[in-house]
This record gives sequence, structure tokens and C-alpha cells, in this order.
Amino acid sequence: MSFFGFDTTLPRDEPRSGKSKGIFEAQDPFAQVRQARKLQAFQDTQEEPLEFDDTYDGLGDKLEEAGDDFNDDTFGGGVEAGTISKGQISKDFDFFGQTAQVSSAIEEEQLRYNLQQQPKASTTTAQTTAQKPKKTGYEKYQDPGYIPEIQAKSSVWGTKPQARNQEEQPERISTASSGAPPAKRMMSLEAVEAAMRAQSQPVPPPQQVLAPDHTQNLYQQSVPMRQYASPDLQQHPMATQPQPQPTKPIQYHQRNASKQEAIKPAQHPIQILQNPNRAQHSPQPSQDRGTIQDTQPSRPSQATPTIPVITHPQQLMQLSEEQRKAYLEEDARRAKRNHKIFLLSKGNGLMTPQDKNFITRIQLQQLVTATGNSGDADPEATLAEDFYYQVYSQIRGAPRQHPTQPLGHFAQTYLLQTGGRLNNRRQAVNGDNHMQRMQQQVQRAVEAAKLKPKNKQLIIEGSLGKISFSNAKTPKPLLNIKRPESTDSKPATGKKANAEVRSSDRKSVLRNLETVYQDLMQLEDHERQMPPPPTAGDVEAAQTHMEWRQKTQVLNSKLWRDLKVLEPIVPGSTVPHPFIAFLSFAKGKKSIPRIFRHIDQEQRVTILTMIVVHLDQLDVISRAQIAPGESHPPPLVREEIELFSQVVMPCLLGYVSEAPINIIIGLLGLVLDHTTVLTVAKTKIGLGILTMLLSRAELVKESGDVNDEDWQQWTTLYDRLFDTLEPVLGALFPGPVNTSDDMYIWQFLAAVGIGASPEQQQRLVLGVKDRVMETVMQSRTLPADMSSQRLSNVNLFMRAIGLDVELLG
Amino acid sequence: MLFFSFFKTLTNHTITVELKNDISIRGTLKSVDQYLNIKLDDITVLDELRYPHLSSVKNIFIRGSVVRYVHLPAAEVDRGLLEDASRREAANQAGKAK
Repeated sequence: MSFFGFDTTLPRDEPRSGKSKGIFEAQDPFAQVRQARKLQAFQDTQEEPLEFDDTYDGLGDKLEEAGDDFNDDTFGGGVEAGTISKGQISKDFDFFGQTAQVSSAIEEEQLRYNLQQQPKASTTTAQTTAQKPKKTGYEKYQDPGYIPEIQAKSSVWGTKPQARNQEEQPERISTASSGAPPAKRMMSLEAVEAAMRAQSQPVPPPQQVLAPDHTQNLYQQSVPMRQYASPDLQQHPMATQPQPQPTKPIQYHQRNASKQEAIKPAQHPIQILQNPNRAQHSPQPSQDRGTIQDTQPSRPSQATPTIPVITHPQQLMQLSEEQRKAYLEEDARRAKRNHKIFLLSKGNGLMTPQDKNFITRIQLQQLVTATGNSGDADPEATLAEDFYYQVYSQIRGAPRQHPTQPLGHFAQTYLLQTGGRLNNRRQAVNGDNHMQRMQQQVQRAVEAAKLKPKNKQLIIEGSLGKISFSNAKTPKPLLNIKRPESTDSKPATGKKANAEVRSSDRKSVLRNLETVYQDLMQLEDHERQMPPPPTAGDVEAAQTHMEWRQKTQVLNSKLWRDLKVLEPIVPGSTVPHPFIAFLSFAKGKKSIPRIFRHIDQEQRVTILTMIVVHLDQLDVISRAQIAPGESHPPPLVREEIELFSQVVMPCLLGYVSEAPINIIIGLLGLVLDHTTVLTVAKTKIGLGILTMLLSRAELVKESGDVNDEDWQQWTTLYDRLFDTLEPVLGALFPGPVNTSDDMYIWQFLAAVGIGASPEQQQRLVLGVKDRVMETVMQSRTLPADMSSQRLSNVNLFMRAIGLDVELLG
Repeated sequence: MLFFSFFKTLTNHTITVELKNDISIRGTLKSVDQYLNIKLDDITVLDELRYPHLSSVKNIFIRGSVVRYVHLPAAEVDRGLLEDASRREAANQAGKAK
């Protein structure tokens, strides 16, 4: 036997025969606790699916509290219940002193014990040998002539002393269990076996060695099929087994079959006798935890499953066929469940609850740190951290799940799962406890994480920066150089002063651009957080909605301010207007569609007006002037032009195509008044905008809701435009005839042609006649598809003035 | 986390990873973690003659710290979004630095 009387033999290694089953064969003193709780839970929740927790949980509570039961025995200090040492030995963990006394203390205790309990049977020699390390307590059983004291045991059970032979045992036990409900059923052999298999018997405390009659009693109570047989014990199986085998299973079952209430009175004396100390000084923590744990940890027989009380095989015979059938069915079910418990319990005790808690804590902390500190554990934070991926997968419809769920989600899921399981149980005592602990753990972890973030950085005195510790978010933080406030703020003010003066230099324009983008992102974020439209009467929702709108308004005006559209126009200034400068960057152009989504019509028309007024200053127009001898603007400019026509033009067109005539009139007037029309007209974008205006005016006129005054005004403007352009009609085409990209010019000519008076049409035809003829001639030399392309471009214009290329032969 | 976030979108696309020891490996990106460790499948080494020892390797785990460049498939990159993501990242960083 090892120091604490434990054996390392695993249950499955155990011989399962009915061979000697001494008390000390069960080596794990806590196995009984486990067992008891498991079976108790099983009993209490009989109708329910087996719960893992039931077979598993709460073990550690026992460990902590009950585990020191034997310290006294081990260290010799716990004999306070005995006659000698209560006052002598303090509880100050003077292990040395206590250990020094250990042998004598134990000896005395044993002496006392034996004297009290069984003056006849105990021999002091046997007990003294029992103190040796290898003692089993069964030495006396090795004497074949030794007969354990049965009577003491019988008295314990509240029955009159009886002979210890097997015929009488069942009767005795049935009397003990007579308080239980009437026996209805008999165990089937399989059931018995299964129950026994499931019931691994742990070791009672070592002191029990010293009371042979009690060990005998215990042994009879709980004959386990799978015992933790210590090698010592197996050497003398028969000695520990005074009783014939066949009756044992039944006895055992009978014990279990009886209701707990019936057993309890009998058990108590035994417990006290077996371990006087324990009853006094080691209250079981489990006892206040509910029914499951109200048994002493070392009492195997207390784990009594609710097996119908069949105290004698013959009872089964007396049952009706139906009853018997029902009983057998029940029995089979129970056996199955027991087997399941057994399977599940294989790993029992590998981890103590402390271990489990430890692991859980690590996992929770991992969860907490995985999303950074819990403060930003909301979807927004995830979005901020993982913006590209999140949005990208939304846009491209990535089927993958977002791998980084926020913590709240995780923890909740985890807890809810546990809760869901528990809700299914009638008896959630244990589980609730568990759940609460889990919750507390989560809370603690979260709180700890909240307190932690400050520790993410370590600032060593005298160093320039701080050292950051890594976490999941920032796996390898670099040295974090502290920026002195002064350097940060000074340039800011300086820049502001500068900005007043030169608001359109490249840097400040770029900075403006970024500000606009920031505003845009804020607006978009804000838009995403739009509360649902308030239902009538829902004041709170209406309130939030109002607030949301106000915030939108604020953001909008900020965006508007940052766009600098309304900066005063300085006539004749060499510095372009900030907004025009803004548009000269690709980024700025790209932002226009996004901006247009967030601004109202009035702001849109303002932007449109701004663009039109500065048309010849737009980079896509001013820089697109074709140098003599070239047919294309430089590639970079062409890119910009392409971008502008793809990104900005649709926005403008979107507005213009709904604009009333007076807006169109105003815009055309602005073009004529404020810009160099010839410059504008020689570029793709300029022509595009003119085409836009002209065709819109035409459409409005055709729809009929234009009053004469407006139309008069329009015609005047149109005439001015026509007169201006007439001399350069032929020069609108940037290159020689073989330049393929001239569709926009034909479109423009078509737009001009539609609105032209017959006289103007004639002048128009005269102006471009050469080009038309050249194009038609050239198209004949081209492959069919290119040819038709060119011709259809020309035709666009020809049809507008009522002609067709076909007519040209 | 911008790069992590970005590379995550490239999973199951073919990329070329150039390591600091000049080996270039092309393969299908299977996964990437926050250390920018990379798992590649169906790899081929671009200069197979120089690195024949890799010719029998089918998949590979690359420690993030040994990567010099990752060549991206241009079609799989949303530039506008990436710009915005960078802005956000910069804003986050600025917020943290304060």
C-alpha cells in the first residue's frame, strides 16, 4: 500500500471476478465521491439523458475539503477526536513535530479503536504491523482461522446480531431496507453485472483497516465487481472474503436497492466509527450543495440508484408477468445507462476541477485577448480591425464565415450552450452552480482584460520609446516611439496659418482630400448605424432617430465644409479654386460619386455649378489641350480624362438629366461667360459637358414644359455658343481622320445639330463637311466592323440634321 | 491588422511569395495568420533549377518573418477599399498613439 493507501491500478485492469474484494482494493478515495454523485445524479434524473456533468462534476470541491481527512492520520495530528492529542497538537502545520509523533499516535489510535470496537478480535500485533509502509490491514485475514467480527457489523445495521453465513445476509439486508417502497422487481443478471461494472468501489479511509468487522461490513455492502485490487490484497483473496460469492451481487444490489433513507441511519454509526474525526471536523462541502452530494465521499453504498427494491430473488417470481416484464425492461435500460456512465467515467478524475478551471480561464483569456481588450468587443471594433476583409467578403460574397467573431458572441454562445443544456434538466443544481461559476469566470476574465490594457506597454526609464507586448491583434509590436505633444501641435497651428494663405498647394489639397475621405467614412459608418425608422408612438425610437438625423446633418455639413466648394472664387487668381484642385487628383475624382450619395440636390447643383464655372481650369480640360502635331494628350492626362468621364461625368449627368431648364440655361450661361469656350470645346470632357447641357435642353423642350421666356433665353445662349464655335468646328477633331476616338465629337455635333435652326444646320454642315467626307472615305478602307463603327458615329450627327451617310454614296 | 485582413481575402488565390533568401514560390494561398505566416498549396518554385530540393514539395508553411514580398493577383485587390482600409488603419493607429 502506498503512503495514502492509494493504488495506481486502473479500474479496467482490475480482475472483475468475484474474487477478494477488500476495502482497500479501491484505491482512489475520491472515486467514491464521484461514484456517489454520479449515481445520485443518475437516480435523481432518472428519466433524463445522461448528463456529463452528473457523472463528472463537483469532484474537486470534495478534493479540497475532504482531501485532508487523512492528513491527520498521515501526519499524526488528527487524533483530536481520540483520547490523546487534541490539546497537544496545534493546527499550525507543524509537520515535523507531528510527523515525529506519527507512529505513536497511530498506534494509540489503533489501540483505542480496537479496544472500543472489538476487544475480542483485534490483536495489537496486527495493528502494529499495520503501521509499516507495506501494511494492508488485512494481515490478520491471512490467518485462515481468523473470523471477522460479524456481530458488530450487524448491530450497525440496526439488526440483531446474526450469524454471518450467506443465507442470512439477504434477509438482514431486506430488513434494513424494509422502509423502502415495496419491492417489485428483481434484477436480471445483466443488470446486476452492469450495475456492478458501473460501480467501482473506492477505498474507505485507512483507519478502517483497523476495524476488521467494519471492513467486512463495508465489503458486504458494496461488493464491487471491479475493484481497485491492491496487489497485497490479491495475495489473500479468500481471507478477505469470508462469504460465498454467489450471494454478493445480490446483496450489493439489495443494498443499493434500498432507499437512502433506509440506509442512512445505519450508515451513520459506521461512519462515525470508521472515522470518528471526520464526522466532527470535516463537514462535507457537498452537503450544502444539494442532494447529489449529501453523502460522505467514502461511502460507496450511499450512491443508491433507484432500483426497485428487490430484496430477494423470490420476489421476482412472485411478480405478475407484466410487472416482471416491465421490471426487466427497466432493468435493461438501467444497465444500459450504467454502462454509459461507465464509459463516460473512464476519464474521470484525470483533471481536477482546478485543472479544468485553469484551462477554462486560459481559453477565456485567449478569447478576450483575441479580440483585444473587451472594450471594443463589438462588431464595430471588428470592422475597424478587419475592415478590408469584412467589407471585401461582403462585396465579393465570400462564403466563408467571419473567423473573428467578437468576444461577446463567443462567450455568449459558450454560456448559452451550457445554459441550454441545463435547461433541459430537471435537476440543475449542480449545473447551475457550474454555470454560475462559468459566468463569474467570464466576467472576471473580461474585467481582468479591461484592467490590463495599460500593461500592454512597458516604458523603461530613460528610453526613447516604450516596449509593447504582443497580443493576437498586434503580434509583433515594434518599439513605440512616443511622440512629444509639442512637435505634434506646433506644425498643426503652423499649417493652419499656411492653409489660409496657400490653400491650394499640392500638400494641402491632398490633406483636404484625406479629410474629405475621413468625413465620407464617418458618414458611411454613421449610415450603417441608422436606427430603424421609428414606429408611431415609440418615443424612444423616434428620439434615437432624431439624434441620428442630427448627427448625419453635422457630418454632412462637415463634409461640405471640407470639400471647400464654397470657398470664394477669386477672379483672375492663378491659384485654382480648392475644389477644382481637389478634382485634379484621381482620389478627388473618385470621391465624387461617394460624395454625391451623401449630399442633397442643392449641394449637387452647387458642385455642378462649381465645375462648370471652372471648366477651363479643370485639369482634364486645361491639361488636355493638344499640342500642335499631337493627336492625343499625354498618357497621364488621358488616364485622368478617362477617370473623370467614368466617375465624375455620370454623377453630373445624373443630376443634369433631371435638371429643369433654368438650371441648364444658367449653366450654359456660366460656360459662355466665365470660361474660354474654345478651350473647353477642344477637349473630350468639355465637349461632353456641353453635349450634356445641349441634349438636356432639347429633351426638356420636347417634353413641352418650357415656357417661351425660358426658351427665348436658351436660344439666345445657344446662338452665342454656335457663333463662338462655328469657326472652329473643323478643329474640334483632335487628330487626323484615322483617329478612332471621335465619337464624343460626333455626339456633340449631333446635339448641336438637333437644336440648330435650319440656317445654323447649314452652317454646321459646311463646317464639318470635309471631316464627314474624309471619315466616310476612310471607313471604306477599313474592315467591316470598324467601318460600320465609324460610319455610325458620323451617322449620329447626320441623322440629327436629317441626313444619312447613305445619302453621301 | 490591415495586412492580415488583406491577405485573408486572398485565400484560395494564387500568389507568389518571394522569400528573403531569394526563393520565389508560387502557390495557392491556403491560410494566413496574424503573424503573416503563410500556408501555400500546390507550390512551384520559380527558379526550379536553382532550388531543386523544393521540387518535390507540394505544400509549404512559410514563417511570416522570412517573407520579402508577396506578389498579388491584381484582379483580386479592391483598390478603393484598400485605400479606405488603410485610412481606417491609419486613423486607428493615430488614435492609439495618443
